[in-house]
Amino acid sequence: MGGLQKKKFESGAVTNYITRNKARKKLSLSLPDFRRLCILKGIYPHEPKHKKKVNKGSTAPRTFYLLKDIRFLMHEPIVGKFRAYKIFVRKLRKAYAKAQWSDVERIRENKPGYKLDHIIKERYPSFIDALRDLDDALSMCFLFSTFARTGKCHVQTIQLCRRLSVEWMNYVVASRSLRKVFLSIKGIYYQAEVLGQTVTWLVPYQFAHDHPTDVDYRVMATFTEFYTTLLGFVNFRLYQSLNLLYPPKLDSKAETELKAAGEEDYAMDSESYLEKLSALSASLARVISTAEEEEAEPDHFPAEGEDLERMEEREKAQKEQEAQKRLFEGLKFFLTREVPRESLAFLIRCFGGQVSWDKSLCIGSTYDVTDETITHQIVDRPSIEKQYINRYYIQPQWVYDCINAKILLPVEDYFLGVTLPPHLSPFVEEKEGDYVPPEKLKLMALQRGEQPGENFHPSQDEEEDDDEEEEVDDDDDDDEEEEEDDEEAEEEELADEANLKKMEQQRSQGKALSVKVTPGKVKAENRLRTEEEEKAEEKRLAIMMMKKKEKYLYDKIMFGKKRKVREANKLAAKRKAHDEAGKADKKKKKAKKQ
Amino acid sequence: MAAARRNRRMAALQPGFLPVKPDLDNGTLNIGKRKRVNKNKKKNWNRHSDIQDVEEFLDDVRLQERAVGGLIADKPDESLFFVDIGEEENKDVQPDEEEKKGKPSRPLRIDLILQPDSKVPPPKDVLAHQRPNAKKERRIAQRAEKLAAKGVVPRRQKLLQLRRAAAAAGTLVKEKPVPNTNPNRAFYDLWSAGGEQSTEAADPYYLEQTKKKLVKRPEKLNDKPSVLPAIEVIAPGGSYNPDFFSHQALLREAHEVEVKKLKAEQKLERQLAVKKEDKATEETIFKEQVEGLIEEEEEEEEEEGAGREGGENAEESAMGPAAQQEKKTEKQRKKEKAEKIKEMQRRAERQAISRRQQLFQLRSIHAELKKREQRTKLRQSQRKARQEAQKAMPRRLGRLKYQDPDLDVQLSDELAGSLRTLKPEGSVLKDRFKSFQKRNLIEPRERAKFKRKYKLKYVEKRAFKEIK
Repeated sequence: MGGLQKKKFESGAVTNYITRNKARKKLSLSLPDFRRLCILKGIYPHEPKHKKKVNKGSTAPRTFYLLKDIRFLMHEPIVGKFRAYKIFVRKLRKAYAKAQWSDVERIRENKPGYKLDHIIKERYPSFIDALRDLDDALSMCFLFSTFARTGKCHVQTIQLCRRLSVEWMNYVVASRSLRKVFLSIKGIYYQAEVLGQTVTWLVPYQFAHDHPTDVDYRVMATFTEFYTTLLGFVNFRLYQSLNLLYPPKLDSKAETELKAAGEEDYAMDSESYLEKLSALSASLARVISTAEEEEAEPDHFPAEGEDLERMEEREKAQKEQEAQKRLFEGLKFFLTREVPRESLAFLIRCFGGQVSWDKSLCIGSTYDVTDETITHQIVDRPSIEKQYINRYYIQPQWVYDCINAKILLPVEDYFLGVTLPPHLSPFVEEKEGDYVPPEKLKLMALQRGEQPGENFHPSQDEEEDDDEEEEVDDDDDDDEEEEEDDEEAEEEELADEANLKKMEQQRSQGKALSVKVTPGKVKAENRLRTEEEEKAEEKRLAIMMMKKKEKYLYDKIMFGKKRKVREANKLAAKRKAHDEAGKADKKKKKAKKQ
Repeated sequence: MAAARRNRRMAALQPGFLPVKPDLDNGTLNIGKRKRVNKNKKKNWNRHSDIQDVEEFLDDVRLQERAVGGLIADKPDESLFFVDIGEEENKDVQPDEEEKKGKPSRPLRIDLILQPDSKVPPPKDVLAHQRPNAKKERRIAQRAEKLAAKGVVPRRQKLLQLRRAAAAAGTLVKEKPVPNTNPNRAFYDLWSAGGEQSTEAADPYYLEQTKKKLVKRPEKLNDKPSVLPAIEVIAPGGSYNPDFFSHQALLREAHEVEVKKLKAEQKLERQLAVKKEDKATEETIFKEQVEGLIEEEEEEEEEEGAGREGGENAEESAMGPAAQQEKKTEKQRKKEKAEKIKEMQRRAERQAISRRQQLFQLRSIHAELKKREQRTKLRQSQRKARQEAQKAMPRRLGRLKYQDPDLDVQLSDELAGSLRTLKPEGSVLKDRFKSFQKRNLIEPRERAKFKRKYKLKYVEKRAFKEIK
């Protein structure tokens, strides 16, 4: 048993990890600088599997990094820049203290700066990688662009964020890639499909900020610094893909129109230009001005069986999408001053509508309230004094609901002063057997092209109430009808069987059959029904042929499904009871009033 | 000001001065009997001399100045009166008014409010003839002149000249990097193939040695530390105008979180509470009070009892070790050895028998094996599922554990009927921050508490006294 005694904690998991403080010392950076570097380079702390081993026997909670990551960090050129900045600050302070003003000036001029371009390239080797990580970048940019310029972060950062978010919105408008939108109590969620990637982002409501104290602003600012750079490069590439000029320029035609509106009161030209861009009311200039976009039709390949089905499905989805893109085309909107202008203008422009607002509300309005061709005016107040006959006065939720439903919903539910239907989340996808709220059922019926309640007359409250009742009933009726159909079929079968039995009985009893010739009836063959029956039969046979094990599993699955359905039914019944109770209350109130 | 004062004086001297307020002259008559006071002191003079007439007069002058812009008596007649010619002019005026009606460009009321309502010209701008920092600027200018005479050019100009010279010569000047936060910074196509031509063209070995080529990033670093999505969309109950049931579901969720918190709190309280047995009763209090007074007898008895027990123990302890210390005889050893061998043989025999018997137990063994296999499979799958679930969990990355933020919920009566009246809940900034923590991008931290190095000393100042 020779050799040296093995020391503890010198091999194994310990060698893979390094504590934060040690890493910091290794890089000779201060803690804030180290934090910043880690965020910029995308190096995150790691929780070891055996903490006690890694922590050399101690169980004190510590932050660990992988040693390889820290070694990789040591090659980063930005580390040198951080150190240089530290020295710069020291020199400057010294010069100030000694009142050497010429030195101060000289040092100021040589302030070290750094760029993040190479880090972006390194972290996102391809453009698609960058697109995948855009959720965070967009949310942070939109968040910071709404900050007040109160010194919580640099004003320049806010300006940059504003610029980038406006550019992004303009891209989404130009490419018409918005898919979903959801008004929540937190903020507005948007989802777009950009080059095949779904991008979701959250935009806070305007003026909704109280600055929370338990958030580290320095960390958030570092994230934002990184993400602004990323978003800038992504924007550039996206604009290029649409043949748009970058930085964005307004269409020359639109520009002259806007200029004609006469906004000489604005302080700075550059500022007003950004405002005009952010108004989103005009289209952008293209590198090569093409009059119309070419419709690229997908190639058709001969396909069979499942492929064919899939292809058809895909084609159908594509067609739907195309239709959704043109949702608001030909409609002319006017926004009053109490609605969220930016969000609505963005949405309407995303789906091809025209939009304008009061001249005094914001720069970039294109037409006046008095314009006779306006089709929809979006209003969010209980009543309005002067109304034009040839336009709808609707509440803003209509726009959001239409986008989620992918069709133009009936405006009657959204008229001025009407109690709105609930705003459903488009991010929820119900599976089979889940509870679906009746509002959504109605919506789905509308999407299928059915008319829920032909006798729909938006005139008085009472009638509307009745209609609603009828609609609910209709939905129920649909289900019942299906059931009834099945029952009828069964009844027929039963009748046939009964006839046969009778005949047999008579035969067995030895009675002479009452022979009679009756004219034959033409049995209407329901092809669909027979097909269905065949299918059901096949299924039953398949179930019969199952192994015991599989059968058990199958039964279990079916039981689960049934339970789900049962629960959904229970919820639906509850809802019905709730609605009825509400209605009864209403009627009571009405009666009392009368 | 001087002009105004002169005006006033002149007006007072003039016999034909017309006051605007009619009661100015009457006011003097109303004064009753005067008190006789010696006015040989300044204080008395100030207090008892009647200057109301003068004040009123001056007020009137000020009023006139405000309203008309000077004394009415000084105004020329043309500015005060006009000659009434008749209705001819009115006819000319009317179309003008109609035009005005059509124009919406009336000044706004808010602008009118802000307009000065006094006709007194504002005091002269002091800054017009008195510049701030004039002395400093003058000195700087003098110094610059002196330097210019010597032929020394200021730094900025020198740099500009250098730059111009460089541009004229066609040499490349290294430009200073634009800071990342510059709102007007330019972007380019980062992912295009032509972006890195300059570096690719050079010798790779040279680039590596001069540290111009970046070290390759490990592939593993590009995986995300958590599988959670960046944006977790709020539940459908979080809509600003939610469906009744989804809202109720969200409320229930929030309620359950609160109940859990409350339970934890209650548990802690229960654990910290004083036990009932430890609480002082009347009996124990009395015992404590009389301790040392009546307990002597009992103690003695106890001592006796203890003594007895101790004696017994002592005997046992004396017996034990003595027996152990006794040596085994040879016979005993042999006997033990034989027993041991016998035992081993018996065990081996039994094993052999049982092995033989196992042949007949084949089925049950088979079943058991199967059972065991199933169990391992189940455990494997469970472990895998747990590991999968762990991937989405926040890790312990530092001193503090990640804590979920409070669910953003609006109660049924807080829900807004329309978008206009919506009150946003929670903060997006905090949501983002917590999301970073949840996805293990940063470790959870709390704000550093402010700690004073030394205690503050309170000194009562004369200006105010501390309220106690």
